[in-house]
Amino acid sequence: MTESHDRALPVPQIMPADDVERTAAELDQTWAEPGTLWGWLTAVDHKSIGKRYIITAFLMFVAGGIEAALMRLQLARPENTLIGPDRYNQLFTTHGTTMMFLFAVPMMNAMGIYFVPLMVGARNVAFPRLNSFGYWSYFVGVALLYVSLFVNTGPDAGWFAYVPLAGPAYSPGHRVDVWAQVVTFTEIAALCAAVNIIVTAFKMRAPGMSLDRIPIFVWAQLVVAFMIVFAMPAVATGSTLMLATDRAVNMHWFNPPEGGDALLWQHVFWFFGHPEVYIIFLPAIGMVTPIVETFTRRRVFGYTALVMANITTAFFAFGLWVHHMFTTPIPELGQSLFTAASMVIAIPTGLQIFCWIATVATGRVRITVPMLFLFGFIFTFVNGGLTGVMLASVAFDKQVHDTFFVVAHLHYVLLGGGVMPLFAAFYFWFPKITGRRLGDRLGKWHFWLFVIGVNVTFFPMHILGLEGMPRRVYTYLAPTGWGSLNLLATLGAFVIAASVLVFVVNAARSWRSGELAGDNPWDASGLEWATSSPPPVYNFVYPIVVRSGHPLWETTVERPVVTGLATHRREMLLTTTFDGRPDSRHVDPEPSIWPLYLALCMGVLFIGSIFSPYFVLGGIGLSTIGMLGWARQSTEHVDRELVALPDCRLVETL
Amino acid sequence: MKPLRADGDASRLPTVTFGPRSLMWWGTLGFMTIEGWTLAILVAGYLYLRQNYDAWPPLRTPYPSLLVPTINVALMLISIIPAKLAADAGRRLDERGVRRWLAVTVAITVAIVVLRWWDLWALNTRWDTNAYGSAAWTIVGFHTSLLVLDAMDTIGLTLFFWFKRLPAKAFSDVANNSFYWYSTVGVWIPIYLLLYVGPRIF
Repeated sequence: MTESHDRALPVPQIMPADDVERTAAELDQTWAEPGTLWGWLTAVDHKSIGKRYIITAFLMFVAGGIEAALMRLQLARPENTLIGPDRYNQLFTTHGTTMMFLFAVPMMNAMGIYFVPLMVGARNVAFPRLNSFGYWSYFVGVALLYVSLFVNTGPDAGWFAYVPLAGPAYSPGHRVDVWAQVVTFTEIAALCAAVNIIVTAFKMRAPGMSLDRIPIFVWAQLVVAFMIVFAMPAVATGSTLMLATDRAVNMHWFNPPEGGDALLWQHVFWFFGHPEVYIIFLPAIGMVTPIVETFTRRRVFGYTALVMANITTAFFAFGLWVHHMFTTPIPELGQSLFTAASMVIAIPTGLQIFCWIATVATGRVRITVPMLFLFGFIFTFVNGGLTGVMLASVAFDKQVHDTFFVVAHLHYVLLGGGVMPLFAAFYFWFPKITGRRLGDRLGKWHFWLFVIGVNVTFFPMHILGLEGMPRRVYTYLAPTGWGSLNLLATLGAFVIAASVLVFVVNAARSWRSGELAGDNPWDASGLEWATSSPPPVYNFVYPIVVRSGHPLWETTVERPVVTGLATHRREMLLTTTFDGRPDSRHVDPEPSIWPLYLALCMGVLFIGSIFSPYFVLGGIGLSTIGMLGWARQSTEHVDRELVALPDCRLVETL
Repeated sequence: MKPLRADGDASRLPTVTFGPRSLMWWGTLGFMTIEGWTLAILVAGYLYLRQNYDAWPPLRTPYPSLLVPTINVALMLISIIPAKLAADAGRRLDERGVRRWLAVTVAITVAIVVLRWWDLWALNTRWDTNAYGSAAWTIVGFHTSLLVLDAMDTIGLTLFFWFKRLPAKAFSDVANNSFYWYSTVGVWIPIYLLLYVGPRIF
């Protein structure tokens, strides 16, 4: 053993191009992920996982959209008989479950999994195998919901599964069990992604990337990851440990005759459910800032205010859940508190919008497709936000509770505040993922059809709600006079469908034969643009040293980097949490089949638990083998290491 | 593309670190937080259901027994010592010390898991008797799953240390394993007080 000190010493020196090329070639070999089926199943590269997450979540958006279109067809005219009440119940439950659990949250996580490491200058996420396990868990959840739907066992008690309707007395059979377990899988996936994003953002940032230089998108992902850590356990507890046990082993959490309480479900569900809205919304608005900066060619106005607004929103988001329960017997003081909190949360959100407006007003604006979607976002989202402030008032809320007014509000917020920035992000970052640009002409068609479609579909629902049309009913009578507005909304839904079709065609064509983009087609400032498009598996040949919040806009002649990471194994640089000083090297794990195997074991355990407790035992047994295999693989390579002992000595092992 | 300038050399930075310098410590902290928070939500549910009853435990339900749960709590507190000694040995790269103290930790952990079976029955109610029973069983049951998982983790690590040549990072894993064990024990103390002692008080 030998001892020495453990800090990197600066050695400024221009890197000869040959050295860079040789290092890249060595890294290509060490980090290679085979293009075979086995390679695909065992992949641990955050970009591979991120891409399949994005594609799966987008397919879920399409599936949820088809369900919505079917419901709109049924509601297009009064007393329609296209879809019966039972199928309609399954459709609206599956639509909500899909859009919230299988599209929106996974999609936002996926964008974080793909881009956070690139934006902070890292080579992978902190726990790549956990990342792979998260994706496969999510995939099991997707498969469970859709196989169940096609065998007429689709959940039918709403995406919120209120008891007593969802309890064993009123929902016999396995439909609600399917819902509870789908939720379990997506929660596992979200928690894996959250832990990964937190640790990546804390420990794997580029040298010099102190807290005040972290890109806003990464801040948003970080804040949301913390929200996931505190929100998701609530619904996992409610669905898996309370609802599923009430149904499977006769527990009484929600059974009033035995001292249970139906309202407890609402508390547990909405303690997750309201932060969920911001778990979708904050990453989306995190995407807005880099796009606005790039297309106004200036740093965003109010960086600190934006970061603080994100954090404040996250805190308030946990204090609003009771506004979903204003028609339940909640004490008046409680109602007032939650009304106030629901209004207060508009302040940090408004502040962010003013920051972007100030940036646009003082920058040199380039109108591109991503910018069009951002204008669409501000217009649509502000409308949804305003009806949100209306709904914060208890008296008003009681009048429109469970009507189409709420449907209109939530779709304005989620499509305006979530999906429009997401589309902007697709156009902005598609070149990085694929190396090719998305077509502009089809992009504009997509934008206009989408904005018009959203407004034509959902604006009439405000009026229908005010006229008293309830949600979640499969039909209505002709004398209500709701027919024409419903027909209009249905037409709007098909305009949205057309716009999404245009996007799919655009993406497929561009991926195959779109215009080549180059490393940084928009002349943007973030680190993700400092590597090739698409990036190599290891992202960066050398960790880039960052001296500002906009490293690619720095006017230096050379790009400073850190050398010295080994190329014979997957080494990554770790830095200190606050100021981003180089701290240690970490060896990234190699591809592994065990994450997929363990996710399938979880499938046996949780899906089997619906039918028999023996599956739980079987699942645990199979998982044990998987955990041992995983641990064994993680401890396979014995190499020479430099160990930093807690007493500050550095020891070299054999 | 701009020419690259070497601004620092990472080749003498450590490749194995302990505590907050290592990624695994942060990952462990993340899952400790998630699991601790899940227990906190269950406890909130337990207290919420308490409001539906005049008596707690409900009428005709006896108080939980104290003997086995108290012995088990004592055992858990004792287990902190070998876990800490194993972690300390890990921090010194002392392989023999790690093997010895991990083995002692495993022995106590297995005893704790076995006694947990009687902890469950010491609640003196069944999960399907009433909401009180459901809440208590779910909380103890969920903590048991953490206990079993942690025991499996410790057993696996011990077997590896005894029978396999391991990379140096395994020493850091030992420290993190103990870190996780402290939390599993730590969250149980308030739960023990609430579920087993609490009904006698409120």
